Amino acid sequence: MPRLRLLAILQTDCPTCRLITPYLNALVDSPARVEAISQDDEEATRNFVRQMDVRFPVERDPGFHLSKSLGVVIVPTLYVLDGENRVIREEPGFDKGALNEIAVLLGHFPVATPYDGAPASKPGCTSRHLEPETEGTSPALNLHAPRGAKASIIELTEAVDPYEYCFRQFQDALPVIPPTAERVAKMLQAAGRSAQDVIARIPPCYGEATVEKIAANAVMAGCVPEMMRVLIPLVRAVSDERFNAHGVEATTHFATPMIVVNGPVRKELNFHSRQNVFSNVARSNSTLGRALQLILLNLGGARPDGIDMSALGNPGKFSYCIAENEEENPWEPLHAEMGLLREQSAVSIFAAEAPHGVSEHSACTARGVLKAISYALASVWSYRACLAYEALVVLGPEHVHTIHRDGFSKKNVRDFLFENTGIPLRCYNGEPGDGVAQRGLYKEIEVDGEPCYQKFRVPESIKIVVSGGTAGKFSAVLGSWSAGPRGSQMVTYPI
Amino acid sequence: MSIALVNPMNETAPESATAEPRRNALQGRKIALLDISKPGGNIFLDHLERLLRDRYGVASVIRQMKPTFAKPALPDVLEKVGHADAVIEALAD
Repeated sequence: MPRLRLLAILQTDCPTCRLITPYLNALVDSPARVEAISQDDEEATRNFVRQMDVRFPVERDPGFHLSKSLGVVIVPTLYVLDGENRVIREEPGFDKGALNEIAVLLGHFPVATPYDGAPASKPGCTSRHLEPETEGTSPALNLHAPRGAKASIIELTEAVDPYEYCFRQFQDALPVIPPTAERVAKMLQAAGRSAQDVIARIPPCYGEATVEKIAANAVMAGCVPEMMRVLIPLVRAVSDERFNAHGVEATTHFATPMIVVNGPVRKELNFHSRQNVFSNVARSNSTLGRALQLILLNLGGARPDGIDMSALGNPGKFSYCIAENEEENPWEPLHAEMGLLREQSAVSIFAAEAPHGVSEHSACTARGVLKAISYALASVWSYRACLAYEALVVLGPEHVHTIHRDGFSKKNVRDFLFENTGIPLRCYNGEPGDGVAQRGLYKEIEVDGEPCYQKFRVPESIKIVVSGGTAGKFSAVLGSWSAGPRGSQMVTYPI
Repeated sequence: MSIALVNPMNETAPESATAEPRRNALQGRKIALLDISKPGGNIFLDHLERLLRDRYGVASVIRQMKPTFAKPALPDVLEKVGHADAVIEALAD
């Protein structure tokens, strides 16, 4: 087969050209020759090549002669040329499907996976020779750049204790493992991605979370390098607009992201889902939760003595991560309910208060156990506040056993809790307080013969996870922050 | 032997902005009142609007409200209050 050539027409300040460049870098390993034409001047092109670690030759196109002869309209445009320089494929803009087809055409394997952080497609910019004439030049747009700056290196002399240095400079309240270049390199190797790829911008200050910055914080938290494959989707999840970390991290309320890990990754990385699941029981749970908190602090800027204004705080701000005990769950695990396959690994986050224990040792029926839980649910936020809040119920395996023995499905559990969590109307006759002014919006129901307002808006406001040890009849209720599209929504990301 | 640490902190420079000069008088000014939609904010701002009109003779008052206090203001809200000479924001419950 004659040797094919891939020619990319690029501009140095076009976000889509920056998005596509790492994929072109990957194609350098194909049997085809990969090269690019920059429509910008020598200095801009040189900077682009350096910033983006460009691994293929880049020539300039002064006077846009080549761009005009090819009829380029949009940058980037990819051209696949045969041995006689005939165009056999032309692809404007960024499209993962098209990129993968081109990769295969060039004799390479696909280079763009669905969950690598880049959108499935993105339109490009107008070719320079078609741009309207303007005076002066506009500054490069960096806000959405998929590549970030390289982290600076801090050199410590022998006289400086690195642990004390990290304590002083990074201002976290617990000791951290110094993020030495060697340790960060191991993390990066395990991540298998370019150090400067921007995974997300972390609210509330929107600091740039490059793979390298995430790796440095993962080292500090004590993560094993393999944890990078969990941390990267977790960083995306916490930056998801629906989760609204901007609000969660700045509120005066107790909430902080609580992580639930599901699927095969629990066993692969030794996440713990049994006794003491909320405690200091496993390196994976503790270090993943801690890494997320360090990232929110160091990259997001949510300092507990500054922008994070929580009046009382939450011990979960050191680390707050559990795994679901899927082995003791006779129903669908959380991630399957959130739309993923059971065999898929996933992380979910919920803006949670500290766990409120429900101890119920004497109830012998599903109804008896669930009634005890419904009274804890009724107190979420404040007893008379309905509709605006949610809760995560962590059912302990012994409670699950009793409930399941009575033939309850997970839907039955949720519906029972929804229908049996109410606040008696008589509570609204006294002092004014949270939730009283909104009572006109509430739905009246009867719970055990007493007229009540229904606590939750919909059954789905109650999230259910099975976790904890098999000895002891305990469950926990975790109240939410302001919930729904106007507050924070639970999000689940595949690993 | 010295050791090299990878800086784990955010190093992207925040956008800088300079504060507008302080207004010395309210007479004839256009004032925006931004309600972030916390309970009680409207009561406070209603009172403030009366004071601004009756006692300080402002030319006009623009009232805007964020749909939720839990998220940043939407661009159209910022654009509308941006036309005023000064903005007063009612923050808390």
